Amino acid sequence: MTLMLLALVIFGVTYVMIITEWINKMLAAMIGGFLIVLTGILKQGNAFAAIDWNVIFFLIGMMMVISVMRETGLFLYLAIKTAKLAKGKPLRVTMYLFLATAVISAFLGSVTTIMILVPIAMLIAAELKITPVPFIVTMIIASNFGGAATMIGDPPNIMIGSATDYTFLDFIFNLTPPVLIITLSSLLLIRIIYRKSMEVSNQARARLMEYNEKNLIQKPKMMVISLIVVALMLTALSLQGVFKFETATVAMSAGLFLLLMNSRKKIEQVLVKDMDWVTIFFFIGLFMIVESLVETGFIDALANRVLKVTHNEPRSTAMAILWISGVFSSIVDNVPFVASMIPLLEKISSVFQAEHIPQAMMHPMWWSLSLGTCLGGNGTLIGASANIVAVGIAGRSGYHISFKEYTKIGVIFTLNAMLISTVYIWFRYF
Amino acid sequence: MLLASLLDSRLMYYEPQIKTREEIYRDMVSRICRNYPLPICGSELVKLVLERDEETSTAYPTGLAIPHIRMEGFNDTLISVCVPAHHVDYEGTHVSVIVLIITNKSATKLYLNIVAALLKLSKDREAMRTLGKVKDGHYILTTIKQMGITIKEKLTVSDIMISAPVTITPEAKLSELGDLMNKHDIAVLPVVDENKKFLGEVNVLNLLKVGVPDYLMMMTNLNFLESFEPLEKLFESEDIVTVGEIMNKECEVLSPDASIIEAVFLMIKHEKRFYSVVDHGTLVGILTSMDVFGKVFKV
Repeated sequence: MTLMLLALVIFGVTYVMIITEWINKMLAAMIGGFLIVLTGILKQGNAFAAIDWNVIFFLIGMMMVISVMRETGLFLYLAIKTAKLAKGKPLRVTMYLFLATAVISAFLGSVTTIMILVPIAMLIAAELKITPVPFIVTMIIASNFGGAATMIGDPPNIMIGSATDYTFLDFIFNLTPPVLIITLSSLLLIRIIYRKSMEVSNQARARLMEYNEKNLIQKPKMMVISLIVVALMLTALSLQGVFKFETATVAMSAGLFLLLMNSRKKIEQVLVKDMDWVTIFFFIGLFMIVESLVETGFIDALANRVLKVTHNEPRSTAMAILWISGVFSSIVDNVPFVASMIPLLEKISSVFQAEHIPQAMMHPMWWSLSLGTCLGGNGTLIGASANIVAVGIAGRSGYHISFKEYTKIGVIFTLNAMLISTVYIWFRYF
Repeated sequence: MLLASLLDSRLMYYEPQIKTREEIYRDMVSRICRNYPLPICGSELVKLVLERDEETSTAYPTGLAIPHIRMEGFNDTLISVCVPAHHVDYEGTHVSVIVLIITNKSATKLYLNIVAALLKLSKDREAMRTLGKVKDGHYILTTIKQMGITIKEKLTVSDIMISAPVTITPEAKLSELGDLMNKHDIAVLPVVDENKKFLGEVNVLNLLKVGVPDYLMMMTNLNFLESFEPLEKLFESEDIVTVGEIMNKECEVLSPDASIIEAVFLMIKHEKRFYSVVDHGTLVGILTSMDVFGKVFKV
């Protein structure tokens, strides 16, 4: 009991540090992780065994792939092309960029997509002489939607995919349909919200159409190779049911191959500049801390409490998970939240088993967790890493997006997404 | 080692007449050649000294000139001192003491230390005034002896830095910064307050950066953009933005006591060619890599 309290205190303090960013989140997670060992709550071996290396190496592999693909200029090309396809008409640009962001996020992850696309959106806005804020806000929302659609799009999904037996295709079958509906209905929302607010001169539009985006393709050969590799990677992930490749193995194979082809002479540069070690070590620390909550029995106690409230009834349990995840993720970083929810759901699964509730009833639990955390991230400015990154880029270029200004829009889209998810879970799984 | 111990009174003299630089060199060389057998002498040596002067100026703003020749097949260090009654013009610098040094190729360190001692002497206005009044070679030597100038082992940053650099205050507007850079043809300025307290540095890239929004800096390349005019924004903010807003506050600085090798080491390591020299928070000078190159290595 004392150990459990101690573990809870360490977890709580770390969590507060992560949310408030009083100290760097990686530093907070790592200090928490080793305090767990230092105080004797966990043996070092158990703490290390709790690290989900499938998640860690998947992240590293994807960072390698992206480091090479970024250099080819493909993403910038796509963004400019999108804006030109919209003929520089601001409402259309907003909607097209929304779609492009969602699609790219589904495969690259939301943070990377935001880092690549927000600067270009700001340039387009500057050229059109309008404020970039609507572009940025809608792109943040799109990135979190897109990330929710696949197993590799958003860290919560990567973690859920790794902890469960669900394959890449399971994610596509179960998550892509609701995300598609959410995205399309969001386009309608954009139309309603921004219809009247953006006026652009023909002169400005003409300048945008002068962009020579073909120049952006820096290494055409490498671009083709990397596209083939990504296609192979997605195929391998889709065939997980047949070949039993783990996600990390697939991502690392793709990443290492591309580095070998493109960057073998500047590996150190790639390792220093393109690998987001802060994120990697943040995850490692979190896995260690959460394990202390599992081993000391806190998660068990919490799961029992949740099931008591929902009377072991799957539908209300799923709804509780969806909405608690949604609300929680909109105000705190969703990664530590999911890291602690995964063992909770595993516990619920074993309770269900003991109560002879069919295991199929676990599906809506996991998908609720995924939809809740990924979509909830849009709720406020600090709900997901992509939001914080985007607002940072805008702020450094002189466009301050306030918490209120973002949340006003974010809440509408999040509520829409959550309601659609509720209907979806309700009718599809029960 | 005392500087005086290295000197020979026969090579030191007062020049009462108005003479050109070349005439003075000729006199110095003939005094040297009269007393020491050198492999190269006479007009040929004068020519070498003048050629060396052409490469980089040997004059210092303190009114001292140190022409210098390294001679092969000669194994000593000769120092000839001339105190002319009338200033000699070195490309605009008025020189009141000329010291010609002839060394062998391997005595670099000794040479640099002699230069350092002489530079220190030249910064002492009282000493320079005393020297200027001496009318005889023997007296010059006695005066230097009395001053007790020692040749130290180490050449420091303060010996070769520029001690009255152009500076700017953080309140200055960008237009003022641009004017100063233009007028003095410099790309970096130390930023100081009214008490010469060092606050940071501002360079021409900081200035240009004002015209380039941050989001553009995040892109991998900009070759698709032809019409974007970054300087538009710079012109707009020229009279609004202050130096304090764009300067680098976290700068590596040099201490005036730092050795030359330390300065060179830091310049190479940080790929920084301009250093502010700061003593207990106060700016005392600047040192650029070209100063080091010109005054130390290209000797």
